[in-house]
Amino acid sequence: MNAEKKRRITIMQVIPIVGIIMSAAFVYLGVYKYGFWDEFKGPKPGFFPTLIALLMLGSSVLALILSFKEKAPTWTLEHWILPLSVLALLGTTFIIGLLPSLALFVLLWLRVFEKCSWKTTLTVFAVIAFIVVGAFVLWLGVPFPKGIILTMLSN
Amino acid sequence: MKKNFFVAFVLLVALVLPLSAQGSSESSGAFAPSKDIEWFVTSSPGGGSDIYTRAIVDIMNKYNLVNGKTFLVMNKTDGGGEVGRLQVSRVAAGNNANHTLLTFNSGDHAPMIQNTANRIENFTPIAVMAVDKQLLFVGEHAKYKDWAEVLAAIKAGKNIVIAGSKGDDIATYELLVKELGVTQNQVSFITNDATSDAITSVLGGHVDIVMSKPAAADQYVAAGKLTPILALANSRFSGNLASAPTLSETGPYKNVENPIWRGVVGPKAMSPEAAAFWSNAFKAVSESAEWKANYIDKYKLVPEFKDKDAAKAYMQEFEKTTLKALGK
Amino acid sequence: MNNFSMLMSGFAVLFTFQNIAATVFGAILGLLVGAMPGIGSLAGVALLLPLTFKFNPTTAIIMLGALYYANMYGGAFSSILIGIPGDGPAVMTMIDGFPMATKKGRPGQALLTSNLSSFIGGTIGMIILTFMGPLLAEFGLKFGPAEMTALLLVAMTSIGWLVGENPTKGIILTAFGILLASMGMDTLSGYPRYDFGSIYLLGGIPFVPFVIGVVGFSQVIRLMGERHHETKLIVDKLSIKSSMITLHDLRRLLPPAIRSGFLGTFVGVLPGAGATTAAFMGYAVQKSFKSEEPLGSGAIEGIAAPEAANNAAAAGAFAPLLALGIPGSGTGAVLLGGLMMWGLNPGPLLFTNSPEFAWGLIASLFLANLITLMISWGVIPFLVKILSVPTRLMIPVITVVCIVGSYSTSNSMYGVLIMFASGVLGYILSETGYNTAPAVLSFVLAPLLESNMRKAFIISQGSLKIFVEKPISLVFILILLITICFPLIRVALVKLGWMKKKGAV
Repeated sequence: MNAEKKRRITIMQVIPIVGIIMSAAFVYLGVYKYGFWDEFKGPKPGFFPTLIALLMLGSSVLALILSFKEKAPTWTLEHWILPLSVLALLGTTFIIGLLPSLALFVLLWLRVFEKCSWKTTLTVFAVIAFIVVGAFVLWLGVPFPKGIILTMLSN
Repeated sequence: MKKNFFVAFVLLVALVLPLSAQGSSESSGAFAPSKDIEWFVTSSPGGGSDIYTRAIVDIMNKYNLVNGKTFLVMNKTDGGGEVGRLQVSRVAAGNNANHTLLTFNSGDHAPMIQNTANRIENFTPIAVMAVDKQLLFVGEHAKYKDWAEVLAAIKAGKNIVIAGSKGDDIATYELLVKELGVTQNQVSFITNDATSDAITSVLGGHVDIVMSKPAAADQYVAAGKLTPILALANSRFSGNLASAPTLSETGPYKNVENPIWRGVVGPKAMSPEAAAFWSNAFKAVSESAEWKANYIDKYKLVPEFKDKDAAKAYMQEFEKTTLKALGK
Repeated sequence: MNNFSMLMSGFAVLFTFQNIAATVFGAILGLLVGAMPGIGSLAGVALLLPLTFKFNPTTAIIMLGALYYANMYGGAFSSILIGIPGDGPAVMTMIDGFPMATKKGRPGQALLTSNLSSFIGGTIGMIILTFMGPLLAEFGLKFGPAEMTALLLVAMTSIGWLVGENPTKGIILTAFGILLASMGMDTLSGYPRYDFGSIYLLGGIPFVPFVIGVVGFSQVIRLMGERHHETKLIVDKLSIKSSMITLHDLRRLLPPAIRSGFLGTFVGVLPGAGATTAAFMGYAVQKSFKSEEPLGSGAIEGIAAPEAANNAAAAGAFAPLLALGIPGSGTGAVLLGGLMMWGLNPGPLLFTNSPEFAWGLIASLFLANLITLMISWGVIPFLVKILSVPTRLMIPVITVVCIVGSYSTSNSMYGVLIMFASGVLGYILSETGYNTAPAVLSFVLAPLLESNMRKAFIISQGSLKIFVEKPISLVFILILLITICFPLIRVALVKLGWMKKKGAV
């Protein structure tokens, strides 16, 4: 690597590297743990995944070599707010249940983050509540998790 | 700002209330359901276990065996069913534990022992309702017409392929191969996701023999598309399956029978009173005319009710033999 | 023409007020269920099965048939409008449907194209079903493990067409999808593999949450950057007229729809193949025909091909179901369960024992097809309105739908976690020039390929000869060799001047 300027490991390298690790693990497990070929029955459980993992290993190495020519995209915090909020939502689900967490998410998102008017917030809230409660809860009878507080209350 | 929070609070309460409304009332002494019952099924809607569960639910509702409460049937198929089973086994003591049921068959029990550390002592056995057995069938244009021809082919060193479903079928196949004294390479088995897939491959002439429970094969036998050639039971079946001999009739072998039981369990933490209540409720179902007509006869099962104590002993025995077979 | 008169008698059974009402009701419910991500036709039919107990068997199964059928229409709605495929078959519709609705600003036309193609594909499937049902079912039986392996190998190579400008990255993601799909219980051996000791991974990665995440949730994360842009699309008038397609559009729509209609019916009959495979193959075949605009940029042909194929497959799947009692899919299995609950035994005897029922059901499919077309045509203007809602308001709505939908597939938070993880991953991958579509498709096709291949090897005792000894399989192996070698041959032909260089298509 005769680089003139300092090369940094970016996401463009991380993805092929993860691919190499994953495919290597699949090849190893496939050959040693799950078995490759049986004389009478042909392919064993590890056969097909091992072949595919070898293919992935090869192309990941190639992608890693090619990746040094590629420019990494710039990440903006703005995009990550959503996954982070959903992560928080998953956390509160264990405590207060999925439906209240969703309600909280929608209200906070619209009112606090997007700074919508109460009218907009409530309209959107009503539409979501209609879809979720009307279709999924009442009609299709999906049992949503209640969280530890309600489970304890109903005991 | 205060007002805003108030509105948000009201909305939250409005969402939460209907959920907690199915309140609680502790009763002492004899148990009777006081809230909706969550009944877990670890297979998809429409599968054998699902049909079995919903058949029982219908009868329980019809005879009002559950104090007018509703069953919430939950199909939890994650992790090949292990997640649902683990979840039921871990329900904490209290009213929830007394209102939780799990459909539990030998086809659930065996993989659970094989693949996880979960064991029957983590559950409260409630009942065994029925027992199912298998037969071997050949297709219309099969190479072999009856079991004697198959035996002759095996003796001549030919390879035989049997198609079947998961779980129970594999166990029965292994018993059969052992009794015949041949290797699994000579008489091999193809595991399908469902018996219907196995039947499809026999109808197309791609494999020689299919293993099936009577229910799944019934139609094809009636239409002459499948012919029963061997009963994997200690005695012959009745009706249009009567022509198939048992293994001991065809040579110097012992009969191969691997009873597939269908039962129900609750969480370990279920109170003895609740377990007694459920055991009685299932007894009432097993004695009803609907159960016999709409389930047992329709799907050609053998009715065999065991109450909670008998079921417990039965399932423990099953677990012991299965563990031994697995070498655990 | 005996079958034709039987079909007419089927219509006679159908035309009672109660049965027509059941068809309409089933069609509306099916559209709604189909349009909701996460609730596929399987859950829809299963959940509504108890509802039908109040009716007589014929009415009940007519309603379920209509519901199942209308589902195939509904799945395309969320794909086209918000870029979230509600179920497997809709993934292919999204590739061209979503750009046509947003980038090209023709959402009404995109929806109408999808509906008309569904109608055409479905009608072709039903006509074939009516006249050749039992024959078709017998033909499907000819496809054993060896034949299916060869066919699926051909299908897998056509993923190559979706890979795009960077083949290395395309191969990585194709392989990635296959490896993900191989995790969990291995049916053939009955042992878990690649479960890494996790009880959740034992059951594998669930498909629907994976798709909602990779395709849908990643899309919402991307939308975060555009929340403050003005919505380009302004719908001034709510009218059916403004979403009409031109005669020219219709001419572009017809050939792929008709081709896919035949192809889809054929795929639907095959054991275990299903509507997703049909939609995918319809799209792949379209790649080798001429399209006016490049596929993937919002081409009408790209919507018509998969939509017609998946509806035709849904119709085709009824052939083995009714004539042999073989359910081609999970939904088929539930329908079968429903039939048996009413004491009807689908299978070789159904057409002789209960002809009024069997033909009533087939007739109801025709009616459901027509009714669904009319209903969905009628609601297009209202659906299009969704696109004029500002992005920043759509973000929380779609997020909630993604979460609720992925939860509902298995009633488990595990589904939500998978959705979340694959969503974040999908976003990172698409930002770094990886196209995620190959991963989704290989995820569906690979398990089918693997299990059929291993079954074939058990039958042949580990010998490769089985694939060339069986005539159907041999044909597909030859096609496979030609597809693989064709690019090489073409280079040679171009060099020799015997063939024109392929223009920039």
